[in-house]
This record gives sequence, C-alpha cells and structure tokens, in this order.
Amino acid sequence: MSALYWWLTLAVLLFCIGAFGVLVRRNVIVVIMCLELMLNAVNIALVAISNFRGGALGAGELFSLFIITLAAAEVTVGLAIVIANYRNRRTVQTDQYDELKG
Amino acid sequence: MPGGDFHPWLFLFLAAWILICGLGVVAFKKIMYSAASMVACFLGVAFAYALLNAPLVAIVQILVYVGAISIVIIFAIMLTEVQSGAYDLFFNRQVAFAAPLAVAVAAVLTGIMVTSDIGRIGDAALNPSVKGVSLLLFKGYVFPFELISLVLVAAMIGAIVLARKEEEKA
Repeated sequence: MSALYWWLTLAVLLFCIGAFGVLVRRNVIVVIMCLELMLNAVNIALVAISNFRGGALGAGELFSLFIITLAAAEVTVGLAIVIANYRNRRTVQTDQYDELKG
Repeated sequence: MPGGDFHPWLFLFLAAWILICGLGVVAFKKIMYSAASMVACFLGVAFAYALLNAPLVAIVQILVYVGAISIVIIFAIMLTEVQSGAYDLFFNRQVAFAAPLAVAVAAVLTGIMVTSDIGRIGDAALNPSVKGVSLLLFKGYVFPFELISLVLVAAMIGAIVLARKEEEKA
C-alpha cells in the first residue's frame, strides 16, 4: 500500500470529523472552527498529492497556500457576521437564529 | 531519498495527534477547550506538512493558522460566549442524522480514493522546492495571486463594515 493512501486516509478522516462537527454543534463559532478543520484536511490531501506525484513544480503546495489565504479571509468575514449577529440577538447558538420563522 | 521517505511511526503519531485534537474540537463542551484543541490540531497539521517535504506550507500554516486565525477565533469567543457566561449546549437532535452522514461521506471518499489510480503510478517523492513553488506563484499563477490580494482587502473592509457599531451607521 502506497504511503500516499495513508495521508489521504488521514485527510478523509479529518474532513469527516469536521463535517460531523459542522452538522452537529450549535455554537456558530465551533461550526467555524470545524470548517477550518475541513479546510485543513483538504490542504493535507493537496500537499500529500503534490509531494508524491505532483511534479517538481509543486502546484499542490501553491493551491494549499491559496486555500490558507482564502480561509483567513473567510474566518474574518464569518466572525464579523457572528459578532454583528451577537450584537443584535445576544446569542451565538444556531437554533436561536430563528427570526425568519413565521 | 527519492523512494518516498515515509516514516510510519512518525506518521501514526501525527495522525493520532491530529485526529484526537480534531475530535476534541467537536466533542469538548467548553468552547475554550475546543479552541485550544483546534490550535493543537493546526500545529499537528503543520508538522504533517513538514513531514511531507513542504516546509514553506508548514511555516505559513504556523503563521496564519496557529498565529492569526486562532487569535481571531479566541477574540470572537471572548467577545461573545464568555461574556454571556453560558456554556455551549451540546449535541442537538441532528446527531442521529449527522453521524451516518459523516460515515457515508467517509465511505464515499475512501471508495473514490481506492478505486482511482492515484497512488498506483508514482510513489517517488518529487520534493517540490520552495524555489519551484515561488517560481510558479510569481510566473504562472501571478493573476490568482493578485486576485487573492483583492479578496483579502475586500474581506478586511467587509469585516470592518459588518462588525462596527450600529449607531455609527449613517
């Protein structure tokens, strides 16, 4: 079994842990943290593939750098939304964001 | 060493570290413990990059994730949940659906990975160097590079606009 499979298995497991957390947790900040776990899993897969069969140029590493940058932008905007929402509703629990419920 | 310098014990140690810390993020009841577990998980991922011959990505991971993103998340926790003093309500009733869904996603991804020929062809670690990555960044991918700087500026302005006080709105 190739070593690449081990790394990709690690990425799959971390991705599913993150997805489970996104689906299950109520606190929206923990949801954002689990989202970051999923992005990290994708980065592990990209760097592993780049290391094992990406060629000497390293496009996989480059894409993981792009993903890290976009994750920083995403977490900034996401937490700004959370704080703005907290200012209005005094809560960060997703099941209490129910203003649209009739 | 071109044959793929795979250290099984180091890998297993790192994988256990990353997965246990990832589970900690999901399972800890206190949100601060979740955040600390997340920082440890990011650190483990940085070591994984170092093990994968990607020192540049490892350093960027430590700078951006362990440094910046963790601080921003802890600030957000301090601004919201710690003030109100309430602990996070734990798993909601979606857990009965989420657990099979997560297992199904794992099964599908593993199936794709096993049936594809991704690990069969090359096992030679080709070691993309920092020089190669930076040449690629500033030659072939210079337009996405500039575009991402634009995205960062837009995100920064958007965050300021979103998070400022309501009264200052015209």
